[in-house]
Amino acid sequence: MVDLMLLAPEITILVTGLIVLLAGLFLSAQSKKILGYIATLGCLVAMLLTISSFGTTAVMFSNSLSIDALSQFFKIVFLTVTTLVCIASVKYTDGNDHADEYYVLVLFATIGMMMVASANDLMVLFVAFELASLATYGLAGFEKKNPASIEASMKYFIIGSLSAALLLLGIGYVYGATGTTNIEGIAQNIDLLLNSPMGILSLVLLIAGFGFKIALVPFHMWAPDTYQGAPSLVSALLAAGSKKMGIIAAFKVFIGALIALQADWQIAFAILAVLTMTYGNIVALSQTSVKRMLAYSSLAQAGYITMAFVVMTPMALTGGILYALSHGFMKAGAFIATAAVVYMVTSENKDILNADHLDNFKGLGRRMPITALSMTVFVFALSGIPPTAGYMSKFILFSSTIQSGLVWLAVIAILNSALSLYYYARVVRYMYAKPTDGDRVSEPLPYVVALLLAVAGVLVIGIWPEPFVSMAMEAASVLI
Amino acid sequence: MLPILSLIVLIPILFSAVTFFTKTKEQARISALVGTLITLVLTMYMYFSFDSTSAAMQFEEAANWIPSLGITYHLGVDGVSMPLILLNAIVIPLLIIYTWNDVRAAPNRFYALILAMQGAVIGVFISLDFFLFYVFWELTLVPLFFMVNIWGGANKKHAAIKFFIYTHVASLVMLLGIFGLYYNAWSLNGVPNMDMAYLIGQFQFLESEIARDAIFLALLFGFIVKTPVVPFHSWLPDAYSEAPTAGSVLFILLKIGGYGLFRVMLPMLPFTATPSLMITIMGALGAISIIYGAFLALAQKDLKRMIAYSSISHMGYVTLGAAGLVSLSISGAMFQQFSHGLIMSIMFMSCGVIQTKTGTSIINNLGGLAQKMPKLTVIMVLGFMASLGLPGLTGFIAEFLVLTFSFINVPIYVIVALLAIVITAAYHLWALQRAMFGPFNEKLGDIVDISSFQTFSMGIIALLVLYFGLNPSPVLDMMITNSEHIVSLMAVMGV
Repeated sequence: MVDLMLLAPEITILVTGLIVLLAGLFLSAQSKKILGYIATLGCLVAMLLTISSFGTTAVMFSNSLSIDALSQFFKIVFLTVTTLVCIASVKYTDGNDHADEYYVLVLFATIGMMMVASANDLMVLFVAFELASLATYGLAGFEKKNPASIEASMKYFIIGSLSAALLLLGIGYVYGATGTTNIEGIAQNIDLLLNSPMGILSLVLLIAGFGFKIALVPFHMWAPDTYQGAPSLVSALLAAGSKKMGIIAAFKVFIGALIALQADWQIAFAILAVLTMTYGNIVALSQTSVKRMLAYSSLAQAGYITMAFVVMTPMALTGGILYALSHGFMKAGAFIATAAVVYMVTSENKDILNADHLDNFKGLGRRMPITALSMTVFVFALSGIPPTAGYMSKFILFSSTIQSGLVWLAVIAILNSALSLYYYARVVRYMYAKPTDGDRVSEPLPYVVALLLAVAGVLVIGIWPEPFVSMAMEAASVLI
Repeated sequence: MLPILSLIVLIPILFSAVTFFTKTKEQARISALVGTLITLVLTMYMYFSFDSTSAAMQFEEAANWIPSLGITYHLGVDGVSMPLILLNAIVIPLLIIYTWNDVRAAPNRFYALILAMQGAVIGVFISLDFFLFYVFWELTLVPLFFMVNIWGGANKKHAAIKFFIYTHVASLVMLLGIFGLYYNAWSLNGVPNMDMAYLIGQFQFLESEIARDAIFLALLFGFIVKTPVVPFHSWLPDAYSEAPTAGSVLFILLKIGGYGLFRVMLPMLPFTATPSLMITIMGALGAISIIYGAFLALAQKDLKRMIAYSSISHMGYVTLGAAGLVSLSISGAMFQQFSHGLIMSIMFMSCGVIQTKTGTSIINNLGGLAQKMPKLTVIMVLGFMASLGLPGLTGFIAEFLVLTFSFINVPIYVIVALLAIVITAAYHLWALQRAMFGPFNEKLGDIVDISSFQTFSMGIIALLVLYFGLNPSPVLDMMITNSEHIVSLMAVMGV
């Protein structure tokens, strides 16, 4: 007998999504505001349900779904990001007749991500992966009058479909060799894949497939364009949420199923991690669009998280998993802050093309003090200045790298981290040290609430990390 | 028992937040002054109940923080940190009084940053857990970055970023060293622990000699960049001279690099694979800094840059004294940190006044200021004399101890450093002569003397320089107690 209560968070989100979908049919554009509150409420309830059942272990539906600390931790990450995005979206979708579709897509994307976290079977994983992807393709093109948004969506869709095809092919090879799509089944029959060219081929395809989603260099081409063109809040969902979906999927497939091929994929991930963080940081240095800069910084962060695959000690996985949560807060927060600035700029001048240009951040400390202060916290956290979540995660991740003797990797990561400070500090400098002739503007409440929640998250994880670290350790112990 | 150490960190940080939200300049400066005065009172209480005959940690506080990583909230003071806390607690309220009537944009943020800085710096001095230590260590960067960036001089952008990234890289290298210590002890004993004394104690059991040297050098790099020591000093002249006067003084009070040498490096030194090499590195860098800084100071046209370079030269004594490895040379180095903080505060404050009153700090554009600014001249001359090492003032005691007692172990570097004394005297006197004495430069227009607020704050610091110069034992005693302790730890291992 399956205990459906174990799926309560997913069911909550699904029901919320359906309510929003139905209610959207009957509400006028003005009253669609309430949908944002419903979506936020649904996410919060789902999050409470997840946290309250944290640590429960179960497998369901013929071993195709597994509930454990790892999946629950990542569900918390996804729900956190979605909650923040939904709160901020209340203002963004205000008066928009398509608000219902927006929230439905956000919620369905979240279900997809949550199912990936729970998947114990490659088919379930693939279907859930696609559910999340399809929903976000639509979201990226939500501003359908904005050519940049359409371009972002198209690019994301085409490259995303290609990567899905590669992923499916990779899964196909694994299935062909081992005769099962179940993750534990694959791990048991792994000798059928070992020492066969099929093993290497499936690894290449799977790394490429997940690499697209995580935006690892050289599979990152879509990311900067999509993050820049998509509405900022959708970029927040993509960078902070959907990227983590790639990471949890890769955790499951590579560490759960293909651990016997560790020697092969570890080298690949080492190269990808170094390439991604270095490329991301160097290119971010010269960006003048803040969203694009955040996109490249997000590449760099993905590179750091990928180090967990290379080091593969319980400590490193703890660091990687904690990093996923911290990055959720920091990156979502940074994109929401950018969204607030874009909102301010476009409400002053409707036809402006590059509303996220660095010049629009001039004097933000005076114009939008809360947004500016929050943005400062986020970028310092992203660069790893204590006492923030970013520092705590880097501390665990980088130090575990030293522990396992990979000093070269730690040195590269640390140099990268120092390099990143340049472009993060530049944003802060623009906000506080550059004069502006703009006046003080009133900051929309939804943005402020979302920002303050994210700031609280970043600081709490930074100052009192014990509960989060022990949760991440529990999650990591599922893998190793 | 009152958790006094937590309070002297929390109060400045709390008042920093309060100050940030004040609306007017009056509220901002009063809130800042109240916050720093409370800190001063608590520090004085701590100082007077401090037992200077004991080398043990006092006023200790410990609590679990992140048990799964072995990180604790562990605070304490001893003779190494107490004088530096005292220095910060005394100078920062005076700094606020000094800036009392300054006109500047966003005074609430300005004072909030000063307070945040005070909290962070004191935090570094009292942390006995490496994790906490590093958190405060990095936090000190942020207020200074904003300070230079917002209120700095013409070249502030460059200076702020350079300072931030340069010292951040050094901190990260230091962090690598901390990781090395941490995992070494973890793999030896099976439990994670970030306690500083414990990790330093476990250092000797690390088997690989290369790893021991690498860890030592990584930590050393972090500390000497902050100190700073030639050739890792190039962030300093820009940052010191572009910062507003208050920022320069905060930089001067940032004695965390030298502190790290005493707290972390010296107890580890005997257990490196090549102690004599490490002594050579520290001694040579110290001596080079002394002489190189002095020569560069001599060549500066700008008074503020001259003071910045003289600071490099003076900090060389700290590194040299630490490398001297005798208790009195180490005490001299510690005393140099204390004395340098006071003297340089006077020098930067004087320079700041000159800059605001005359609009320039180029030495040759000044001249004869003594006629118009007699009060400033008295204080400034005292500061300069202390800086060049005139007996009876604090600088002399520190340099005397360092030079005399370092001679036992590292005579060559002392001889090199002695050469610099002449140059030191020369650039100080020459700058004074050109800027303050001689005929008044009429181009400067009408100039008034320093305000009573400025006279008060600079005067107190000048009196302290004189007082501790004549009677150093109130701080020197505890320094000697602790340096003897450090040396005895080394002697146990036969170095």
